[in-house]
Amino acid sequence: MINSIILSYTTFIYFLAFFLYLLFMVMGRAGFGRLATLVTLLGLIAQSFAIVFRWIESYQLGIGHAPFSNLYESLIFFTWTIIFLYMIVEWRTKNRTLGTFVTPLAFLAMAYASFSPGISSKIQPLVPALKSNWLISHVITCFFGYAAFGLSFALSLMYLLKQRDTPLRQNLFLRLIPGQAILDELNYQMIVIGFLMLTLGIITGSVWAHSAWGSYWSWDPKETWSLITWLIYASIIHSRLVRGWRGKRIVFLSFIGFCCVLFTYFGVNYLAGLHSYAK
Amino acid sequence: MNRGSDVGFFVCPYPIFDTRTGSGFDPEPVLLHMPMKRQSPKGRPNIVWAFFSSVKLTVALLIILATASVVGTLIPQTEGVAQFAQGLSPAMLKLFVTLDLFDVYHSLWFRILLGALTANIVICSLDRFPGTWKRFTSRPKPDREKPFQDLAEEQTFVIHHPPADVTERVHDYLADKYRKPRAREVGTERYFYGEKGGYSLFGVYLVHMSVLCILVGGLVGSFLGFEAYVNIVEGQTIDTVVSRKERTPIKLGFGVRCDNFTVDFYENGAPKEYRAEVTFMVDGKRAKQETLLVNHPATFKGVTFYQSNYGTVPGNAVHLSISQQGKAPISMQVEPKTPYPLPGGEGTFSIVDLRSNIMDIGPAAMVSVHPEDGEEINFWIFEYRDRAKKILPGPMLNSPKFNASAYGPYTFVLTGLETRYYTGLQANKDPGVSIVWMGCFFMVIGLFVTFFTFHRRVWVRVSDQGQDLVVSVAGTSSKNPVGLERELNTLARSLEKLLHKDPRI
Ligand code: HEM
Repeated sequence: MINSIILSYTTFIYFLAFFLYLLFMVMGRAGFGRLATLVTLLGLIAQSFAIVFRWIESYQLGIGHAPFSNLYESLIFFTWTIIFLYMIVEWRTKNRTLGTFVTPLAFLAMAYASFSPGISSKIQPLVPALKSNWLISHVITCFFGYAAFGLSFALSLMYLLKQRDTPLRQNLFLRLIPGQAILDELNYQMIVIGFLMLTLGIITGSVWAHSAWGSYWSWDPKETWSLITWLIYASIIHSRLVRGWRGKRIVFLSFIGFCCVLFTYFGVNYLAGLHSYAK
Repeated sequence: MNRGSDVGFFVCPYPIFDTRTGSGFDPEPVLLHMPMKRQSPKGRPNIVWAFFSSVKLTVALLIILATASVVGTLIPQTEGVAQFAQGLSPAMLKLFVTLDLFDVYHSLWFRILLGALTANIVICSLDRFPGTWKRFTSRPKPDREKPFQDLAEEQTFVIHHPPADVTERVHDYLADKYRKPRAREVGTERYFYGEKGGYSLFGVYLVHMSVLCILVGGLVGSFLGFEAYVNIVEGQTIDTVVSRKERTPIKLGFGVRCDNFTVDFYENGAPKEYRAEVTFMVDGKRAKQETLLVNHPATFKGVTFYQSNYGTVPGNAVHLSISQQGKAPISMQVEPKTPYPLPGGEGTFSIVDLRSNIMDIGPAAMVSVHPEDGEEINFWIFEYRDRAKKILPGPMLNSPKFNASAYGPYTFVLTGLETRYYTGLQANKDPGVSIVWMGCFFMVIGLFVTFFTFHRRVWVRVSDQGQDLVVSVAGTSSKNPVGLERELNTLARSLEKLLHKDPRI
């Protein structure tokens, strides 16, 4: 089980990355920032290898399937997508401050997957209902959506913090965060990417449900919660079209949206339904 | 002030702001490029029209729909309703029932909300489409001054020894890269215009129509389709299914025979695969043969059959052993409902009832003995007698109904029961599915067009200033100001190169 070992190391790598990003923002030294990027990238590469190894291992065990089939594997993949997306954003914006707010998400998800007693890291065989090629496209699209919403959540936090920044206040940490207009726009772009991915995720899920359970929509709690999330983000997209709905209101809605994402992901397991295998 | 060269490949299709400079960004909304009309098309102010064309209503409806859906996941729907209702006071229960809170998603008020969303989308689209169409077809004048105000410095450059055919070169370049090229000369200045991505204006309409398409598909399915189920024992043919909601029979108009059913297990005992071989029969003739697996349904005449569960029923062979004190037991195989002579010829016996699993004890059979003289005696016999002794309460065990030796001197023993599988199939008919898939398809295309393509207009102004030529590039975009700036930079650099290159040298 080499993959599990690598994965538990990546948990610490992401924690280290968070620490370095934080140092970079508190001390204002670009060197820490560069190191943080390097460490995050290392974590991402290690994690990518671990996922591939896990995939190969499942075939060696004779129960080969893509590593997205239980809560452990999905948390790992969620972390991977959020870091992957963050690396792209960092590269495109040449700004590292978002890292301080994103790496804790990744670290917490990994820690939860690795250390929660209720979560097994064993490779398990697939129950018949999960045996479908739609599984892969469904999981990938959904998780990229969740990751984009996670970034949007982090950007919203930054927006609120930036509000406390005034020219009088010589706070380095706050000054390094980009301006609110830029955060707002970036936040919107993340929501747009997330919305597109979530739409694709819901559609692929429906196609799959149609082939596995005979109806494309059965108001199962997980389905319903993904629809709720979708509706919230659709309302964010539209609220920007109503004059004046920018900044704080978007931030507020984005928080609600991310809470819905988390509930869709974890909370639904406490309600009975078809997706409860995710336990 | 360079905004960074274009990254060679576009990993993230949506351009992300360059926060190093942080300037040149206009936080004003760029989306409201069309004035919101608060009137019906005829020009008459209309309250209903204004209400339904408002995006505020959209936001409200989307949030209300989300909240209603939350309610539906917190209150049990269909399953567990009875248990939940018991915990409510009569007044609350009445409220719940009146508001249809046990079936939120099919309630009238939920449908009214969906209807309001539909009206909102339709009227909003009608309200805005003329403006969009005008924008799509319009050909703005090339000699506009407004776009050229507040130009970034890299959008203007000077050519010192211009070639003679400047007009042709610029015009040809724009005609090659842009649509609707136009040119005009005003005094010492020459103006050019071009645009691209006009179709991106329609992406939003595609998205909104796709929402309608999906809603219509759902409606068609709920009115013209059904959701039903049926159990078919191996070898049996059925032509009727039972509707899931009303529990009424539905005639299929064709037959379905289960030829064979198998279950495979993993080593740990978890089920690996359910497989049902079925044959569809029309007028008693075989029409089509299919294998049904989970995730692998089959459709016949518009009805889709899905493998959903399975079970066993007793078959036709019962293995018995009849023992008598002091004699060797007699083993025999019998069929249910058929009389057989008792070993001593005192009468007949038959198996009148068979269960493959009764009260978790396992297989059981009811023996009915008809003596030549005397009354008939009925009693149950079990394959697993020890288990029966553990599970059944004492008084019951001692009653003649469970006494295998009730007709002396014989003791009946059930030694085996042939079981047969049945496959539990879901049978669904939904003529709306293809409409829904079409809607999904359009939604994805529409979202891509809306989010990742842009309507861009560019203007080029060439001013003669003595020996020199001053060239300025300006533009507008439906959104994404940074992308526009990149585009204008590229255009300026290309024109600069183009005009420096003198073919006469
Ligand atoms: C669930 C239903 C809906 C979905 C999924 C949806 C989706 C979208 C999307 C993706 C955009 C593009 C936003 C952007 O350009 O950033 C948009 C824009 C818009 N939507 Fe909706 N929408 C829905 C319902 C409605 C309704 C009911 C209205 C009725 C007023 C409406 C009015 C608009 C308007 C006016 C725009 C702006 C168009 C523009 O940029 O010119 N939408 N919608």
